[in-house]
Amino acid sequence: MKIAVQTKNREFAFECSHDEAILHAGLRQGLSLPYECATGTCGTCRARVMTGEVDIGWQDAPGLANLKRDKGDVLMCQARPRTDCLLRVPSNVETLAAALPSVHRGVIRSARRLTEDVLHFELSLSSPMRFEAGQFVILEAPNLTGGRAYSMVNFHPEADHLAFVIKRKPGGGFSDWLFDQAAENVELGLFGPLGSAVFRPEEDRNILCIAGGSGIAGMMAILERATQSGYFGAHWGKVFFGVRTLADCFYLDELAEHVAAARGRLEVTVALSHEDAPSPRHQRVSSIGLASGVVLEVAAQITAGSCDDAIAYVAGPPLMVDGALKMLIAQAGLSPRQIRYDKFS
Amino acid sequence: MTWRRICKASDVAENSIGKFEVDGIPILVVNYGAGFRAIPPVCPHMEEPLAESGIIARCVLTCSKHLWAWNLQTLDMQGETERPLKTYDLKEEGGELFARIDGELTYEFEAEDDMDDDFFSKS
Repeated sequence: MKIAVQTKNREFAFECSHDEAILHAGLRQGLSLPYECATGTCGTCRARVMTGEVDIGWQDAPGLANLKRDKGDVLMCQARPRTDCLLRVPSNVETLAAALPSVHRGVIRSARRLTEDVLHFELSLSSPMRFEAGQFVILEAPNLTGGRAYSMVNFHPEADHLAFVIKRKPGGGFSDWLFDQAAENVELGLFGPLGSAVFRPEEDRNILCIAGGSGIAGMMAILERATQSGYFGAHWGKVFFGVRTLADCFYLDELAEHVAAARGRLEVTVALSHEDAPSPRHQRVSSIGLASGVVLEVAAQITAGSCDDAIAYVAGPPLMVDGALKMLIAQAGLSPRQIRYDKFS
Repeated sequence: MTWRRICKASDVAENSIGKFEVDGIPILVVNYGAGFRAIPPVCPHMEEPLAESGIIARCVLTCSKHLWAWNLQTLDMQGETERPLKTYDLKEEGGELFARIDGELTYEFEAEDDMDDDFFSKS
């Protein structure tokens, strides 16, 4: 189907098949259509269907709540075209040449539990994917409707396998399936890479990471990229990883490797929100610090006034990210240009 | 006859936002240190209530939801911001703040619509 898009600055047109999300089709053909979560929760990818018919997909998507559905508002990340369409998108949109997302297929090769409700799994890809540290993909499983967004935990400039971490959610179809069933050798469709909360060494800034739970995923890719390029030779890094209790920690050995490679320039602190820290450093992995409190408060105490020349990466549940953004601007004195974030719902 | 008293200047602390209402019109008063601004209560991006999510620092208002930001002295849009901040004319007399109100300022969310023909290509 042909999709014509009127934006604030220009008109564009692109092809989209009946079973492809309009957002995916536009992004893979080089348009910077607006999005944030790409999974129906945030409303950023809103568009109005002026002519033509679409299947809006997930009827109860939270991102639809504030839209004028009777006037034809849809979420581009969910909507699939039934006919040729004309859409209006109330943003500036540009054409992009490099690093376009595309459709891939991946086979689950391994899955291992890290804690009671956190699992690490790896896919091997049908064709390599170029991505930046901090990006995510949308995974679609064969027996589930709708995709889920996961940030790559690993980093390689042209990766033929991708690693992810997933937290079990009550009633979460995808996480239940991975945790409970033998998912190895199952093939998934995926779309990506997506997201702009990326780390690029050439930006030459110090790194501050604030992660809530599985929000640590993209930070691991960022640290991997930084360590691979010897980045902490000339910069410092501070990572704050929020979990509920000590039993909920994971990736501590991987984090400790980055700390060791950084020779004193990288500090990692685990913030325990539901338990007092038993000691200032983790008993088994002593290069990791411990603190009591919610992660954004722990980060606030340590970063106040010392974040000039840093870029902050924030990822985690929406409330935690909202709080962290407020703290970074109001207390740590960062400007929006210095802040990159992902919110997962 | 359209200047309306909003509050005392001392009612809004430096680098903070006060919520007021005049004739049923909600108005936020922002004290950015070097001055004051009177603005509608929501962000022009996706209607986030600025009294809750707005941060004032170094003469800049940032909406912490998606980091749209405006210089409050010049009203320049910063970074990713795509829409200007609307303001009511404001003056201070005798320690009191007055805003010129000729109807409620909106961002085409309720009254008009940012995807309707008249407004789509202009704003």
